[in-house]
Amino acid sequence: MLCLKDFSFKYAESDRFALRDINLAVPDGCFVGITGAAGSGKSTLTYAMNGIIPHCYPGDFFGSVIVGSLDTVDASLTDISRLVGSVCQDIDSQMVASIVEDEVLYGLENFGVRTDEVEVRLTDALEAMGIADLRTRTIDSLSGGQKQKVALASIIALRPKVLLLDEPTAELDPASSLAVFELLREYAHHHQTTVIVVEQKIALLADFADKLVIVEKGRIRFDGAPADVLAHSEELLEIGVNVPRATSLVNGLRQRGLYRGSAVRDVDEAVAVCEEVLA
Amino acid sequence: MAKFLEYVPGESFLHRMNPVVKVLCALLISISCFCTGNLIFLGVVLVMDFALAASCTMMRQAAGLARAIAIFSILLALIALLTTPTGPQLVALPWGYLGWGSVVAAITVVVRLVACAIPLFLVMYVTQMSDLANAFCKIVHVPYKYAFTFTSAVHFIPVFMNDMSGIMEAQTARGVEFDGGALKRIRLMVPLCVPLLISSVRKTNSAAIAAEVRGFNLRTCESGFKEYPFARLDAGAIVACVALVAASIVVSMLVPPLF
Repeated sequence: MLCLKDFSFKYAESDRFALRDINLAVPDGCFVGITGAAGSGKSTLTYAMNGIIPHCYPGDFFGSVIVGSLDTVDASLTDISRLVGSVCQDIDSQMVASIVEDEVLYGLENFGVRTDEVEVRLTDALEAMGIADLRTRTIDSLSGGQKQKVALASIIALRPKVLLLDEPTAELDPASSLAVFELLREYAHHHQTTVIVVEQKIALLADFADKLVIVEKGRIRFDGAPADVLAHSEELLEIGVNVPRATSLVNGLRQRGLYRGSAVRDVDEAVAVCEEVLA
Repeated sequence: MAKFLEYVPGESFLHRMNPVVKVLCALLISISCFCTGNLIFLGVVLVMDFALAASCTMMRQAAGLARAIAIFSILLALIALLTTPTGPQLVALPWGYLGWGSVVAAITVVVRLVACAIPLFLVMYVTQMSDLANAFCKIVHVPYKYAFTFTSAVHFIPVFMNDMSGIMEAQTARGVEFDGGALKRIRLMVPLCVPLLISSVRKTNSAAIAAEVRGFNLRTCESGFKEYPFARLDAGAIVACVALVAASIVVSMLVPPLF
């Protein structure tokens, strides 16, 4: 669905590359988690995937970014947007309406969705995000988590093939973050949608993602299944990516030759490993 | 609590009116204020403005706005006071005199500005910006690009005001004292305009990109989902406002000035 080949990018106002030699393939229906230290190039990577680079941010563009059958350099941003639905980091500046219903309607109206289909999509999107009861509320009266869900609903109402989310849980508590990820997984499963999430909470990503990508100083350092990536806990810590303590503990047991299985992602799995080692 | 120029939901007749008619009526009321200099007529319009504000529970906002505009129009009132030597003399001035006519002229300036501004601002409080843009696009055929630009500008006013208060709070936490006279506040606020400007540009850029990736460029006048039909209420409001403009013209022609 999405393929970056030898992609490098340098912003016009910068003298160093924000991203360098990126090769990444995202298959249809895959749930991809992208993480890395602050300033590593995660957001720039999302801008490349949704066509904001090069259409909105000029600079030196090398390689290619293909979304579906579109080359993001040749295709217009609007055409790319038909395939890729994006939710940016700053939710407040993304809101264009004062009422939840109007916010979701905005994209549907722009893309000329048929009038008889608009109501169905609107209701489905609000229900999928669990915010049907907020339909007539003013955006200003919503909490950070609710605004996040409205932003997601306004994108999924467009039924894009790819959902691209930049730190969708940045302002949320752990319980709300988990809820958002569960909603995303359920939605992606039902609609065969590819989901790409940039997120700092690696434990959360590891629980939900099929593929984990670690970005370091504009390059992809690790790209693979969460268990394979988390097996490199020491290197991840060195590049500023926090891994769950349970993962570090079990990786320590692996290094000492006490355990030969794959990396764990949560406390329950770590307890099981420890019991196995002690037995 | 609603912020400055932020939509307040409601079911009042002002809320239910067609957005285009709301703007048209507000403009007609403003025009009527400039068609006559009769203070009594302007006073009646002002009372009517407050009655409209009360009908949609916006008295607090209207009173705050009236106070703000009154303060801003003090300079104009002062000029009118010093440059309109009419009526019985009160104080002699080197270039003329200050009379009862000067006082009435100064009060007229303030009342006129307040009376003409309140309806325009009320429109913002009782109309969603998206409805305003869509209605102007569908009914008046204003290109959506321009309608959206206007409504976005209004939409961002409370956002930027919120940012400014956040920056001021951060400065207060670091020991800056914003209490005191207006001049001192202005002097302290000027340097804060730089971070505000930077964050504003950033937010505006993000908003533009967010709109573009949601198909902004595909929008046409026919794209809007909601319909904005004219009702009897709208026709009645237009008739009333046209009558108000006519009355103001008649008053200005038939009623002689007080001084």
